[in-house]
Amino acid sequence: MDFAWSDQQRELLDAVGRFASQQLNYNVIENDRDGVFNHDAWKKCGDFGIHGLPVPTEYGGLGMDPLTTVAALERLGYACKDNGLLFSINAHMWTAIIPILANGTEAQKKKYLPGLCNGTLIGGNAMSEPNSGSDAFSLSTTAVKKGSKYILNGSKIFVTNGPIADLLVVFVTMDKARGADGLCAFVVEKDSPGLDVSKKIEKMGVRTSPMAEVFFADCEVPEENLLGKEGAGSFMFTKSMTWERGCILASAVGSMQRLLETSIRYAKERRQGGQSIGKFQRVADKIVNMKLRVQSARHMLYHCAWLRGQREPVYMEAAMAKLHISDCWVKCCEDAIQIRGGYGYMVEYEVERELRDAIGSRLYSGTSEIQRSIIASWLGV
Amino acid sequence: MVETLVLIEHDRQQVKRPSLHAITLAQQFGGEYALLVLGHGLDEIAASLVSYGAAAVIFADDPALAEPLADRYATVIAEAARKYGAQTLLGASSTFSKDVLPRAAALLDAPMVTDVLAIEEMDGSIAYQRPINAGSMLAMVKLDGNRRVLTVRATAFEAPAANAAPCPTERFVFDAASLPNGMQFISREQRASDRPDLTEARVVVSGGRPLKDTETFERLVGGLADALGGAVGATRAAVDAGMAPNDYQIGQTGKVVAPELYIALGISGAIQHLAGIKDSRIIVAINKDPDAPIFQMATYGLVGDLHQIVPQLIESVRSG
Amino acid sequence: MTRGQSVEKILVPFKSVPDPYAGAAASTSKSVINPFDEIAIEEALRIRERGEAAEIVGVTIGAPAVDEQIRAALAMGVDRAIRIDDSRALDPYAVARILRALVEKEAPQVVIMGKQAVDDDSNQVGQMLAGLLGWPQATFVSKIEFLDNKTRARCTRETDGGLEVVAIDLPSIITTDLRLNEPRYVSLPGLMKARRKSIEVLTCEQLGVTVRPMTTTLSTSSPTRRAAGTRVGSVEELMAKLKQEAKVL
Repeated sequence: MDFAWSDQQRELLDAVGRFASQQLNYNVIENDRDGVFNHDAWKKCGDFGIHGLPVPTEYGGLGMDPLTTVAALERLGYACKDNGLLFSINAHMWTAIIPILANGTEAQKKKYLPGLCNGTLIGGNAMSEPNSGSDAFSLSTTAVKKGSKYILNGSKIFVTNGPIADLLVVFVTMDKARGADGLCAFVVEKDSPGLDVSKKIEKMGVRTSPMAEVFFADCEVPEENLLGKEGAGSFMFTKSMTWERGCILASAVGSMQRLLETSIRYAKERRQGGQSIGKFQRVADKIVNMKLRVQSARHMLYHCAWLRGQREPVYMEAAMAKLHISDCWVKCCEDAIQIRGGYGYMVEYEVERELRDAIGSRLYSGTSEIQRSIIASWLGV
Repeated sequence: MVETLVLIEHDRQQVKRPSLHAITLAQQFGGEYALLVLGHGLDEIAASLVSYGAAAVIFADDPALAEPLADRYATVIAEAARKYGAQTLLGASSTFSKDVLPRAAALLDAPMVTDVLAIEEMDGSIAYQRPINAGSMLAMVKLDGNRRVLTVRATAFEAPAANAAPCPTERFVFDAASLPNGMQFISREQRASDRPDLTEARVVVSGGRPLKDTETFERLVGGLADALGGAVGATRAAVDAGMAPNDYQIGQTGKVVAPELYIALGISGAIQHLAGIKDSRIIVAINKDPDAPIFQMATYGLVGDLHQIVPQLIESVRSG
Repeated sequence: MTRGQSVEKILVPFKSVPDPYAGAAASTSKSVINPFDEIAIEEALRIRERGEAAEIVGVTIGAPAVDEQIRAALAMGVDRAIRIDDSRALDPYAVARILRALVEKEAPQVVIMGKQAVDDDSNQVGQMLAGLLGWPQATFVSKIEFLDNKTRARCTRETDGGLEVVAIDLPSIITTDLRLNEPRYVSLPGLMKARRKSIEVLTCEQLGVTVRPMTTTLSTSSPTRRAAGTRVGSVEELMAKLKQEAKVL
């Protein structure tokens, strides 16, 4: 088992780190407070090549293998403090790019992927509904074929990038009676007649990532925008979910590494009772626990990505990675705050925001409870 | 014939005083030295240099040298060095000397040391101390070869005394028609100012990025400088942000100053800036961040909002 | 802006230096392209993007370890690069003499390079190179424009007295100052493209140049630190100290 990076990988990771630390860390506190999305930073990331990391070069991506991709995202999370920006990038990659890449026709791929890969097109995903969250396939948004169009009716909630998206990958049902087998997906472009992206949703964390409720009122979608086949919706969703679960928290591993390093520095510099607080066992233990979490989270991230690169199925491993990394992230943030005492509670010290950002990771891409159900079923119990 | 030739800088009106400090190093070498000035209409300038203990003041005076074009100047300087047999060519560090002296060094097939701070005798030869890594380290270097070119950091050497018996002035004759012709002077900024020269002032008041804009910079930094009769400096960040012109910049790649009193307003103290102020006698730092690195170096540090403090300071200075 | 022929070739010499922003907390010593040379590379790229130059060639002198910086230059957009294989501690005059041989081989119309390396701070190589070649020079440049069908360049220089403007005939040497531009960051697509670009390795022997550095560093040391001073609590206290203690007012 070779745990080393190649020279080329190291060069790429260094480039990511340098880019992110120099170009993406401005106005984060204010943007988080005001819920403002950083378009300029998004564009820089697009120019830099983040969005298209795993996409084949013929469609405008960089053709990176899954392991290099997650390592790059990890480094991005280490060097960039704007978790909301990264959340929007991840949503764009796993819920828009991957479904189109995996299921699109040649025409659809050529039409959308280059723009999605360089960030000039922003993608989002509309799956969850007010009455369908963990019960993912019990959708109420419907699609009916009429001539050369499909007519969509219903509403979606928790649409990440909704307010800024150029296109949404929307999952709907064509036949409620058939349950999961009745689902299909569409690429719905903004300004489609009958599409209403409204009601910006204000969140506890990742506040610089815009989110909305989306309404379809006889929304017209051309038939060439059907993604994959009618009825293949749940299959497509499950497959792209394994990408999402395996990769969306890669940057969280980087964030945890940053929290660990800054906490160590704080514990060495902050003195109380005549010594640095890191010498107190209760503080040192927290740091040790952070280290254990970072390391184990990282290994689960890499292992899942490596398996994917080997073309192994990763349904269970992706759920495990997602579950474990999210738990680790929340706990690392709690410890980072506790180590800093009252300062950790202050907005200026930027660790309270990390905790608010991290809490969401136990909810999106399937709650931690759902991940446990998935793992249990794969284990055969 | 002299051992050392010292290039003196002027602004077409008078000598630039910091360039005289190179004479002090020439004196330390022992041996005879001559002063060299280039330009057009140099009578008064040459006459003002006769009391510095030189063997002669050599002046190359020609319309072709009216502006300091490096190709022409380096050619004339190299010719003069050869004619007078000078093994050592000296100047004080400035954008002028850095522009022409390295080129002259190449024409003389000589190595060059920039920003000499001090010399030492080591094993029968001379070693030169100079700053590296933005002044965070010092290096001792020695040179091979028959000739050498050196620039000195003016703030590291005393001004020479002007009390020697007057020496002769000598016109350096050269063929102006055969000078290189590939460079043309177009224009230079003329900014009239009552303030003293930044590199010569007794007091320097300097501002960083927190000064926000040109108007605030001039009002607070300029205001305090004027109240103290001092010069105005700026950090790279302030110049980059357009608050101050480039010639106010102090630091590793700007000017190096060593005034009696240096007041740093809203300057955090990046190494590259500190490189330019280390030898100031008294440093005062005003900054709202108590952990700013500049407080490690400041003689007196005042933590607070400069927008409140500086007007009070100006008032206090004015009321004496 | 005059259109017409473009400058065929711009040569950008650059140096690999320890990262000046690494700080004391850095765990490993990282090398980067000298920031002033990065500005030079960026300027050459912009000139090419304006359609005013055809080829950008980078050159550096060093051991194989500097290939990382060469690849960074190629990733920024330099077309091809040359490493002159020499791991000795060279002084500016030796560097200038080596570069002269390379300039004679490559015959660029313009050489753009940083005004100084941030580790050595000598600010000599460009000027020495110009002297050896007998070419015009413009140093500490903050703006470059080409004139007269690319036969001349008009350069704004940052000097002690403010800004100066000169015009220089090509071929010439230009050294860059800080405010000439802000360099682009290396993008991943650039990095991928760079892997297909060539790095030519030459020895001084192949260039036909034998140089011996004439400067030797005997020792390095830390300067004496200024002792930390005192904090004052008010303007009144500061004024009192400046008058009575420091006696500077």
